[in-house]
Amino acid sequence: MTTTPPLIEDLARKFSTKLLLKHELNLSEHRFQYLIDQNYLQEVDGIRSTLNFHECNRCFNKNQSLFGKIPQHARAPITYCKKCIQMGRVSTKESLYRWTGTHPMRHKVMNPLKWKGILTPLQEKASQKMVEAVNNQSKLLIYAVCGAGKTEMLYAGIQEAIKQNKRVCVATPRADVVRELAPRLRRDFPTIHSSALYGGSTERDQNNHLVIATTHQLLRYENSFDLMIVDEVDAFPYHRDKTLPKAVTRASKPNSTQIYLTATPRRSHKLQIATKQIPTVSIPSRYHGHPIPTPTFQAVLRLNDKLEKGVLPPKITQWIKEKQTTNRRFLLFAPTIQLAEKLAEKLNMPYVHAESPDREYLIKQFRARAFQSLITTTILERGVTFPSIDVAVIQADHHVFDEAALIQIAGRAGRSASDPTGDVTFFYEYKTNAMIQARNYTILKNKEAKRCNI
Amino acid sequence: MICYLCLTSIKEDTTWSNFLNPQYRTICDHCEEKLDKITHPHCQKCMKPTDNEKCGDCLRWEQHFGEDPLGRNVSIYTYNDYMKDLIARFKYRGDYEMINAWKKSVRTSFNEQFNNQDLLVVPIPLGEDRYTIRQFNQAEAIASLLNEPIHQLLTRQDGQKQSKKSRRERVFSNNPFQLKEQPPESILLVDDIYTTGTTIRQAASLLKEAGAEHVQSLTLIRS
Ligand SMILES: [Zn+2]
Ligand SMILES: [Zn+2]
Ligand SMILES: [Zn+2]
Repeated sequence: MTTTPPLIEDLARKFSTKLLLKHELNLSEHRFQYLIDQNYLQEVDGIRSTLNFHECNRCFNKNQSLFGKIPQHARAPITYCKKCIQMGRVSTKESLYRWTGTHPMRHKVMNPLKWKGILTPLQEKASQKMVEAVNNQSKLLIYAVCGAGKTEMLYAGIQEAIKQNKRVCVATPRADVVRELAPRLRRDFPTIHSSALYGGSTERDQNNHLVIATTHQLLRYENSFDLMIVDEVDAFPYHRDKTLPKAVTRASKPNSTQIYLTATPRRSHKLQIATKQIPTVSIPSRYHGHPIPTPTFQAVLRLNDKLEKGVLPPKITQWIKEKQTTNRRFLLFAPTIQLAEKLAEKLNMPYVHAESPDREYLIKQFRARAFQSLITTTILERGVTFPSIDVAVIQADHHVFDEAALIQIAGRAGRSASDPTGDVTFFYEYKTNAMIQARNYTILKNKEAKRCNI
Repeated sequence: MICYLCLTSIKEDTTWSNFLNPQYRTICDHCEEKLDKITHPHCQKCMKPTDNEKCGDCLRWEQHFGEDPLGRNVSIYTYNDYMKDLIARFKYRGDYEMINAWKKSVRTSFNEQFNNQDLLVVPIPLGEDRYTIRQFNQAEAIASLLNEPIHQLLTRQDGQKQSKKSRRERVFSNNPFQLKEQPPESILLVDDIYTTGTTIRQAASLLKEAGAEHVQSLTLIRS
C-alpha cells in the first residue's frame, strides 16, 4: 500500500496545541494511522482511572456521579464523562489526540490595530499596565465598572502581543459575549486571522492570531496562548465551576500573560486584590465620564402575593406607562422564567430567557429598535449592551438577584455618551443586603471616579 | 441521586409510603415537566395525534400491505424541541445513561399495554458502522429498561441510502433486516423513535413472513 504524505503543515495548523477526539480530527482511517505511526499524533487517555476513581482528561471532571457506564457484551463496560459530553464523548475507549509534529508558523502582522479612537486617562492607565504585563509575562486584574470601555483598554496590549507574534485568546464564560465581542475585535483588527468559538459556532481555529472563545471551548486546548484575557471572571459558570480556571491555565503557555477583567469581583478576587496577590488596576469611571445611575428603591406592599395572583401593582404599571409615553426604551428583569412569561403575556411584550430558541434573534431585534421594551431573566444582566435604555427589576429581593447581578443590571443603563443618564428602579417587598450593597457600590464607585477625575 | 437529564441532584422526599421501599427518582420535576407525554387524542394504531380512530398514515399502510404486518405501536412521548435535544445527546453524543430517566415511564407503559402477554422483546438492531461509533444500540438500551429477557432475533445490513426512493419502493426492496432464527408467535419490537413506521414494518413483515402471528412495537417517541 502506498501512502501519499499528508500535508503536514496544513494538519499542524489544525491540530497543534489542541486535545481532540478522533472524530474531531476528521481524518480518513488510513491517514489517521499514518500520523500515529509517524509520531505526528500522540494518543492521550480520555479518562484517567485508578481503582474505580475516574478523572476526565479533557474537562478535569472528578465528580464520580458525572461518569457513566456503557455495558458491553462480554467485556468490561466503557466509562465515559457526562460533564463534557456536549463536546463529543470522552471515554475509556475514546481517547484524545495531541499533535507532536512541528508547530506551525504564523504570518507576522506589524500594525494590526486600525482603531483610531482616543482613550480616557483612566483607560490609558489600564492600557499601559496591560502592555507592561504582556512584555513581562505577568498577571493583571482590571477592575472596571460596567461601561468603563474595557474592550478598548485591551487593544494596545493585544496589538503588542500580535506584533511579537504571540497568540492571543479572549475568553468569556458566556456565548452571548463572544458573539458581541468578535465583530468589534474584527473591525478594529481587520488584517489578522481570528476565530469565534462557542457551542454551535462553525468557525475553526487554524493557529490564528486571535481566538475569541467561551471558557468552555478552552477545554480543547493545551499550551496554546501567550496572552490570555479572561473577561467577566465573576460570571457564571466560570466562578462556580472549578474546572474552568484549570482549562484557562492549561490552554495558556507556561510563560503567558494573564489578564482578568471584572466589574463585580467575587470574594476570592476581592481577597487577592486586598492582599495584593494580584496586580490590579481599578477603573471606577465610565468612559463618557458621567456617573453610574444609582438605583431607586420602590417598595411595594405584598408584591410577591400580587404577582402570584397575576396582579401588577400600580407602581409598576405607572413606571411602564411613563416610559411608554416618554418613548424611553427599557428592559424589565424578572427572577424566573415563569414570571417573565406571565409578565410578557400581561403586558404584551416579547421576553427572553436562557432556553428561548429565538433568543439571539430577539436580542438583535431589540438592538435594532424593532420594539421598545423587552422582558428578560438574568441572562441579559451582563455582557450584552444596548445604547440608551432604562431598567426595572421586578422582585429585586428575589435570591437570584445577588449583589453582582444587581450591579450588572444597573450597569445596563446610561451606557451611551449621548444619553448618559438612565433610570434604574428596583421593585421589591423586603429590602435585601444585596440591594443595599449594589446601591452602595454605585455610590462608592461614583465617589472614587470623582476623585480620579479631579 | 441525580437527574439523568440535567445532572443536578434531586432531593429525595422520604415519606412513610416509600420509606420501606424507596423508589429512587431518576428524573427531576423540572425535566419531567418539559417532556410531553402523549395523552391527547391519537391514532389507536400508531399514536399519531388525530381525532379519528386511525390516522391517514395507518390507512395508507393497510392499503399498501392488504394486511398491515404491524398490529399496534405504543409510544410514550412526542418529539418536541426538548426531546430533540435530548435525543441528539443520547444518540449522537452517546450519553447512554440518559435512558435511566425514562425507566419509570417505559416500564409503566409496558405494564399497562403489554402485561400478561406472552411476547418476546426484540430490539431493532443497529448497523455495524453506527454501532462502532456509538458503542451501544439505543433500541436495546430502551428494551433493557423492561426487566424482560431481550432477544436479538434480527441483524441489520444497511444497503444503499433509502432517501431517494419512494416509500413503496423502500419497503419492498432491500429490507435491511435479516432473521437469525425462527421467530415465536408473538413479538414486541422496541425502538427509540417511530417516524414514518417504515423501519418497524420492515422488521415486522420479515417476522410475519417467517411465521410470527402477532407483531407489536413499543417506541419511546412518536414523532
Ligand atoms: Zn469530561
Ligand atoms: Zn433534571
Ligand atoms: Zn396511525
